[in-house]
Amino acid sequence: MSDLSVLLKSPAEWLSSEGEESEIVLSFRVRLARNLDNRPFSHIAEPEVLASISSEIKEAVLDTKKMGEALIFDMDKISESDRILLSERCLISDEMVRNYSNRSLAVMKGEKLSVMINEEDHLRIQSFESGLSVGKTFERICELDDELDEHLAFAFSNRLGYLTACTTNVGTGLRVSAMVHLPGLVHNNDIRRVIDGLRHVRLTVRGSYGEGSEVLGNFFQISNSITLGLSEADTVANIESHIRKVIEFEKKARDSLLREARTLLEDKIWRSYGILKSARLVTSKEAMSLISAIRLGIGLGIINDIRLSDLNEILIMIQPMHLQRLYDKSMNPEERDSIRADHFRALLNRN
Amino acid sequence: MLCQFCNKRDATIHFTNVIGKNVEKIHICTICAEEKGFDHLKKSNIEKGDLLAGLMNLAAETSKGTSVSKRCPGCGRTYAAFRKSGKLGCSQCYDVFRVRLDQVLSSIHGDTKHKGKIPARQGAIVDLSRRITELQEELKKVIELEEYEQAAVIRDEIKMLRDKNESEGRPDV
Ligand SMILES: [Zn+2]
Ligand SMILES: [Zn+2]
Repeated sequence: MSDLSVLLKSPAEWLSSEGEESEIVLSFRVRLARNLDNRPFSHIAEPEVLASISSEIKEAVLDTKKMGEALIFDMDKISESDRILLSERCLISDEMVRNYSNRSLAVMKGEKLSVMINEEDHLRIQSFESGLSVGKTFERICELDDELDEHLAFAFSNRLGYLTACTTNVGTGLRVSAMVHLPGLVHNNDIRRVIDGLRHVRLTVRGSYGEGSEVLGNFFQISNSITLGLSEADTVANIESHIRKVIEFEKKARDSLLREARTLLEDKIWRSYGILKSARLVTSKEAMSLISAIRLGIGLGIINDIRLSDLNEILIMIQPMHLQRLYDKSMNPEERDSIRADHFRALLNRN
Repeated sequence: MLCQFCNKRDATIHFTNVIGKNVEKIHICTICAEEKGFDHLKKSNIEKGDLLAGLMNLAAETSKGTSVSKRCPGCGRTYAAFRKSGKLGCSQCYDVFRVRLDQVLSSIHGDTKHKGKIPARQGAIVDLSRRITELQEELKKVIELEEYEQAAVIRDEIKMLRDKNESEGRPDV
């Protein structure tokens, strides 16, 4: 099994903010669900069966050109805190943190391509990119899928396509999602209409948005919900066109904010900057709201001495287990808040 | 012997179903077998008593015509288990619970037919099946338009594709 520290040494490459529209689109992800033919789905398979599925898939993954160099982590051979660490990096699901027996992860250095083994489906292949990098993300995962198809017999039906444990994934097994930052639309209250519009075209929008309350950091995840009756290319093109619309709305909202309430906006951004630069305790919730303001400040060209990529990276780094690992000790929440504040000050005072 | 489910057709499949301590003999016709989701029994050689405890609780489903307790022969799970967990047990479940799953799929996706990628190893079969479906739709159209000559050409092509498929020993499309 691979050494986890190899992975943790450097941040995931998809946080680089190099992709298109990355002031608004934090990351773009494409996921494929696949199962081996003639085997029970993971949730009911006996341990021996899970083990044999797992070793078959690992072997196949390591036989591909795309993932021949993959790092392999068996969830039952690493600690719970290591699993949490992987989930904070979006490499495994929360479900896999708890339910780890005979579950594994194969991941390329840089974390742009990975395979969860024996999650809800036998394979959950994930491809990540920074910004709205649709083509790149999609092509990479298709190439891997083609290679895996040479080694593994996938459960497939002429009528229904790829067969999955849950009926919501059957067909293409494809889930395309973008993490978007929409402070402008939240601020001018158009967000509700935009979300309703997206739901109307059968896209899913997640974000802890409730009436009258600010979403955590104004980050929303937009993803497709239909996997049957639509080709992969159409699914991807469809969601891309809608995300581009949302980006356009967000830009307009930001423009009108600047026109109508420039001082107010600048005040909010600089106050956040000030807090992060000097606060001694920052909770994770407060951190998200401050990061959101600064992200907006960078996008509007108001703040110039912080790089978007650093801000992206800090989103991952200030999560509880990453902080603990960095300082190599377990901490109570207040200690974490203090370390988190140190982290921000270090970032902001670097330049 | 008549099929014990429809009491109309001849029972062509006979096997023993074991549920807990109860052993019951099942005599069923191919049509009912297909309806109840174990048409895979048609071709296989079934040994008496060989069939698995809890394969399916047929008695329960016959009287009411419902099949809440029908079990998937692949994984032994029922439709009720799917309703409860939201997850199917294996890929065979999709055939076994086809009728009800089609409703579920249609409400989630608005469709019940895959239009995406095909694994390379299955490509030939599926391509053929898609081509035949296309031709059948075309055939309907030209018949409506009363273009009978064209219809004959299409009909021959469908037949040719089907024969080709059969001669290559592939399953029906
Ligand atoms: Zn019958
Ligand atoms: Zn099943």
